Amino acid sequence: MVSRSGSCIVVGASSGIGLAVARRLAIEGRKVAMLARRESELRAMVATTNDALGREAAFAYVHDATDADSVEALFARIEQDLGRVDELHFVAGVMPAVAIDEFDLDKDRMMVLVNMLGCIAWGNAAARRFLERRSGCIVGVSSVAQDRGRVGRPVYNASKAGMDTYLEALRNRLWRHGVRVTTIRPGPTATPMTADLGLKNAMPVDRAAALILRARDREKAIAYVPGKWRLVMFVIRNIPSFVFRKLSV
Amino acid sequence: MTTMTSLAWRDEDVRGFGMAVGGPGSVLRPTTREQIAEAFADVRARGGSLALRGAGCSYGDAATSTNGHVLDLTRMNRILAFDPATGLATVEPGVTVRDLWRRSIGAGFWPKVVSGTMEVSMGGAAAMNIHGKNNFALGSFGECVRSFDLLTPRGELVHCSRESDPALFHAAISGFGMLGCFTRLELETKRVHSGRLRVWGIVAKDLEHNLQILEDLRGKADYLVSWVDLHAKGAALGRGLMHRADQLKPGEDPEGLRFLDPALQDVPPNLFGVVPKGWLWPGMWCAVHGKQVHLVNWLKFRAGSREERHSPYLQTHGAFHFLLDYVPRWHWMTRPGGLIQFQPFVPFQHGARVLRTLIERCHAAGHVPYLGVLKRHRPDPFLMTHAVDGYSLAMDFAVSSNKKRREYLWRLCQELADVVLDASGRFYYAKDAVLLQSSFARVHGDAAVARFRELKQQWDPDRLLQSDLSRRLGV
Repeated sequence: MVSRSGSCIVVGASSGIGLAVARRLAIEGRKVAMLARRESELRAMVATTNDALGREAAFAYVHDATDADSVEALFARIEQDLGRVDELHFVAGVMPAVAIDEFDLDKDRMMVLVNMLGCIAWGNAAARRFLERRSGCIVGVSSVAQDRGRVGRPVYNASKAGMDTYLEALRNRLWRHGVRVTTIRPGPTATPMTADLGLKNAMPVDRAAALILRARDREKAIAYVPGKWRLVMFVIRNIPSFVFRKLSV
Repeated sequence: MTTMTSLAWRDEDVRGFGMAVGGPGSVLRPTTREQIAEAFADVRARGGSLALRGAGCSYGDAATSTNGHVLDLTRMNRILAFDPATGLATVEPGVTVRDLWRRSIGAGFWPKVVSGTMEVSMGGAAAMNIHGKNNFALGSFGECVRSFDLLTPRGELVHCSRESDPALFHAAISGFGMLGCFTRLELETKRVHSGRLRVWGIVAKDLEHNLQILEDLRGKADYLVSWVDLHAKGAALGRGLMHRADQLKPGEDPEGLRFLDPALQDVPPNLFGVVPKGWLWPGMWCAVHGKQVHLVNWLKFRAGSREERHSPYLQTHGAFHFLLDYVPRWHWMTRPGGLIQFQPFVPFQHGARVLRTLIERCHAAGHVPYLGVLKRHRPDPFLMTHAVDGYSLAMDFAVSSNKKRREYLWRLCQELADVVLDASGRFYYAKDAVLLQSSFARVHGDAAVARFRELKQQWDPDRLLQSDLSRRLGV
């Protein structure tokens, strides 16, 4: 386990898993750049975090994850403000409601831009710096939904699969140079994104954050969160296509 | 009952939370303000009357109307706005305490006043002007309401704040749904610096000790509530276990930041992580019906010493506040007769004497409540308020299904009420099921009752809004 002391960036930190990860990092004593699109929500969460800790540990940076072109400059600004960054968590994600017979390009584009291109933009910006320094870690929160293409959310599955494959390639490029890249595949989690799905036994976001940081510490390549989903998804991944296409999962 | 219009009134058995009072009613569950207005017009056209009902957590008959109409507002449950910077929430009346804290806790805000269960609706909380374990410090629910929209029985929507119409503001809140229906409430919440509270268990050896602890800690603690073993007699009469909880200051509990996750605030659903708590009530039923409640109280008191030794400890806000949610359906233990809660509010100067008299009379009558809860209160500016500068002792009585025993219990409670009223005490309509019409003016004073009746005449001249409670009290 590598001990890290630099600053952290959490993209998608105003709610859900991103917020919980940012708060745990702040409790660990790190300086955390919290990034999100909704300014009032973000500033409130940063204020709450600092208030609870009684010190300035979290810093708000308003950022729209669809704006890939702004990432390079923002990364540089964060390093200027908070010092060297050695940990990136990309947690931003969108999953709009999609009807079973809906093919809406606007929704699809949004998912690709946030879930996949957003991760690529931040991953590239971090990779360039971490490779040069021969240290650092990148954690990307993908999903168990990336393992198969399903009837319910084709582009959510595809965007998460794209992100997942990108992270794997990044890992293969960087690992040999001392930079760790961890892919997180969470199961159902109680976040604002999933609030309307009526999920039963959804994992609390704080539990998800704990498992994510444990996977980081153990330098895992791929971590299912919680671990039981590795087995579940192994089964689902191996359902033959001619059977899977008849299922409504 | 027959349906005369297109509105989907449903015939249901509508009871108070205690199940002991209430009866058949025709129920409608509106989802919009327009549907409420339509329901008002519909019932007016029939020449009937209508009771307003939130989550149905009032123990008695405040939200029932036997053989009448009942407007159940639980489906108007949207949080219309929440400002994470200030904690100001705008809600529909059916939003529950649970809905509100789940929305606010992530941003570091907690409702200023919460009840012992999180099922209570905001509309009901305002109408009954509920209080929490911090009544002595922060006041009643109405004090955290900044403004509301009230749909009057004549279909007029009135936006009201303390400043715009002080008379209506202070009467609609506490007015047990007699002046109109809240359709929107603007509520203040309070900043918390941790997802946890620092909690102490303090053993009180008798009633006087219990009251002394309340006085000693009143200016220091944020929350105070005492469980009282009402079965104890003699020198131990009124003994119990006080719980004090204090909010934590910034930086005092860094780990508490994690507990701002709403999922970590919920009351655990299983006992020892295994036994579903939803199935504990049959065991409690056996204790109540097997006359073993005194043993349960004795054991709880003994366990209090252990808790005191391990104090202070950190506990989430949810776990501290919502004791009544620890065992789902706990009130089923009093089936089939149900329960009533008798909660007198006694001025400070008469506290020890009156509370001792009440407990002794229960012993003499052979009708000892299975649960007692003691709290400290302060007066508030609401017209039909229950709060006094003094104490309340909530006493839960199991009701027998035998008619004679039930009537005997009602008579006992009315005698106890006389003792309280003679000492200028008050009662709380979210709980009451026994007060007589003659007691109404004694609770509030002639002037307040006359003022309330004037306002009723002004806003609801046709007496459209009625409940079993309002008919019992002769409002």
